[in-house]
Amino acid sequence: MIEMKNLDFRYANSNTGALNNFSLTVDEGEIVLLCGESGCGKTTVTRLINGLIPHFYEGELNGRVTVGGVDAVKAELYETARIVGSVFQNPRSQFFCVDTTSEIAFACENMGLPEDTIKMRIREAARDMEAESLLGRSIFKLSGGEKQKIACASVAAAHPEVFVLDEPTSNLDMEAIESLRRTILLWKSLGKTVVIAEHRLHWLRDVCDRVIYMSGGGIGIDLPMSKFAAMPPEKLQKLGLRPLSLDKLKNETPPAISGDTLELRNFCFSYDGKKQALDIKSLVLPRNGIIAVIGSNGAGKSTFSKCLCGLEKKFGGKVLIDGTACGRRALLKKSYMVMQDVNHQLFCESVEDEVRLGMSEDNEKDVQGILNQLDLLPYVDRHPVSLSGGQKQRVAIASALLADKEILVFDEPTSGLDYRHMKETAALFKSLLGKRTLFVITHDPELILSCCTHALHMENGGIREFYPLDDNGGRRLIDYFINNDKEEKNIEKTV
Amino acid sequence: MSQGVMQSDVGNHGLVLDPRTKLLLLITMAVFVLGGTGTAALWFLTPSLCILPLVLLLSAKKFISAVLYLTVYLATYSVFHFVGPKTTGVPNFLLLGTAGIITRFMPSVMMGIYVVSTTTVSEFTAAMQRMRVSERLVIPMSVMFRFFPTVADEFSSINAAMRMRGVSFAGKNAGKMLEYRLVPLLTCSSKIGEELSAAALTRGLGGDIRRTNVCEIGFRVLDYAMILVCIVPFIMLILRWFEVSVF
Repeated sequence: MIEMKNLDFRYANSNTGALNNFSLTVDEGEIVLLCGESGCGKTTVTRLINGLIPHFYEGELNGRVTVGGVDAVKAELYETARIVGSVFQNPRSQFFCVDTTSEIAFACENMGLPEDTIKMRIREAARDMEAESLLGRSIFKLSGGEKQKIACASVAAAHPEVFVLDEPTSNLDMEAIESLRRTILLWKSLGKTVVIAEHRLHWLRDVCDRVIYMSGGGIGIDLPMSKFAAMPPEKLQKLGLRPLSLDKLKNETPPAISGDTLELRNFCFSYDGKKQALDIKSLVLPRNGIIAVIGSNGAGKSTFSKCLCGLEKKFGGKVLIDGTACGRRALLKKSYMVMQDVNHQLFCESVEDEVRLGMSEDNEKDVQGILNQLDLLPYVDRHPVSLSGGQKQRVAIASALLADKEILVFDEPTSGLDYRHMKETAALFKSLLGKRTLFVITHDPELILSCCTHALHMENGGIREFYPLDDNGGRRLIDYFINNDKEEKNIEKTV
Repeated sequence: MSQGVMQSDVGNHGLVLDPRTKLLLLITMAVFVLGGTGTAALWFLTPSLCILPLVLLLSAKKFISAVLYLTVYLATYSVFHFVGPKTTGVPNFLLLGTAGIITRFMPSVMMGIYVVSTTTVSEFTAAMQRMRVSERLVIPMSVMFRFFPTVADEFSSINAAMRMRGVSFAGKNAGKMLEYRLVPLLTCSSKIGEELSAAALTRGLGGDIRRTNVCEIGFRVLDYAMILVCIVPFIMLILRWFEVSVF
């Protein structure tokens, strides 16, 4: 179905090749997983299959790519698009339309299919993706998981022979991942060819037939899934890969922290005055710990973090630190959120200006020390926008530390990161343990088990559980991430 | 507001009008109320046309806008006609100026609000296609409407980040504030724009086949009624021209 032969590719503004003499043949009906560290060339391979390279992303290309009999290098993009359907990483930016029904129709409309056929296909795709209730809604009011469902439905409605998914789960919770897994199994049963480039591997264990491990723009390992899954977890770690199953995850028992506490009082908030998006009357949390905030999409995690940072103007709750009550305005001064897209919070022309913006004057002497601690000294004169994702994150943290922020909130800090980068982030968090109180909002169990001290499980705006991540707590957390989906279903059934 | 532009949820359209009818309504309002064409001779035209946006807003359940429109318009209208003549000099000038601008602009603006808040992008695209407008024009415009809410989203995130850093307009450096906002906005928007185009292209946009459009638009009884309402003033205007030229 897909044949790539002796491919060399170099992006237009880069010096090193993204692919070096890469050859790959994928048979019809095969489900292939592409994995490897960031920058290994996975995404480049997906872009060659759907024709974005060389037609959209330019560069130097040698070699042949044939997909379903079409020469993807020579053919126009819209010709390749009839055979290949693509799902991307960021649900925010892969929609052309603003309502869900038109979005599903979009690809079919471009193919010039008759109206009746398109309508039939919309219904069929929505049924297959369990997205019937989402038809006719505004795209901007959907959660990340719902958006990804619509993206899949939109691609499936065009009936392509090949599906290409580029890190589709980066922004998804466990429930949404499970739903995506069912979708891919459905495509498998229809005999479609699927290529998935992905960091999170655990959900693909019984989905993929074949695993391709890439490194340095070439193929390192090409094995059937059964053999690949038999490799010991340590070997996967060495390759820089995330584990294949969650139940073997180990909890690194966190060191004890001092007995100081933070007390949240009256953490209640409602957007429309009717439904409570957040409803926590009182909660005592350990100060200077690393607290993982978990729960499904829509559980109130982001409302919680916005209130904690003092960003909701009508929020009336308080946090007691050292016996002093901090209201909304004080919280705005005391807390800082590192957003999922760090680009939103980098304003200045150089790293040095950036970390000094909003700094309290007493911290002048600490600037060098903190930059050094966060490995930013070599970059002080660089423009923050030109840094890598991890470096940008560190700049944001440095500016928060210098502005004397007590509470740091991280929104999905490791979405789309490979094993090594995730571990780096975890190490960074650990270095702040005992100095600041960290809240980490995440769907990433591996990150939580590598660095967090406590888990705060939210559901429906309230607290379901709060527990320290000792051996017992670690078990509980893993159970939550493995069984989450089944549990949700059982609840639905009993209701 | 930007969240509401071309974003209406399906099912919240009020009186269902074809986008082309809405466009004609908007043009009529602009010509006769905003442009003031022929109002001297057709004195009853402006007030009757001004009722149109009110009716349409009410039908779309936009009660707040409708009430606001009614009160402001009536207030300025009475100021113009009753208070205005009693004043002299600079106050008179200011009063008549403001009232005049409001009575002229507001009806068309309200009509515009009605149009953008009850039309979806797909309806807009479908209407443009029926009017045989080139795809080279239609696609960039629909992308633009798609982009508004995205930019609004980005902007609110950036604002939140600035507040957490303690950077606000309270300081004296307004120029810097603009820069702080624009740099991240441009970085994020250009990235989103690129991803958006890539996604659209892999779904076959820009092919050599004529696109179909599943959006159901078409003229119904109500559309014909509205078109009639719009055509009448134009005909009257033309008739007047002939009369004038005869004399």
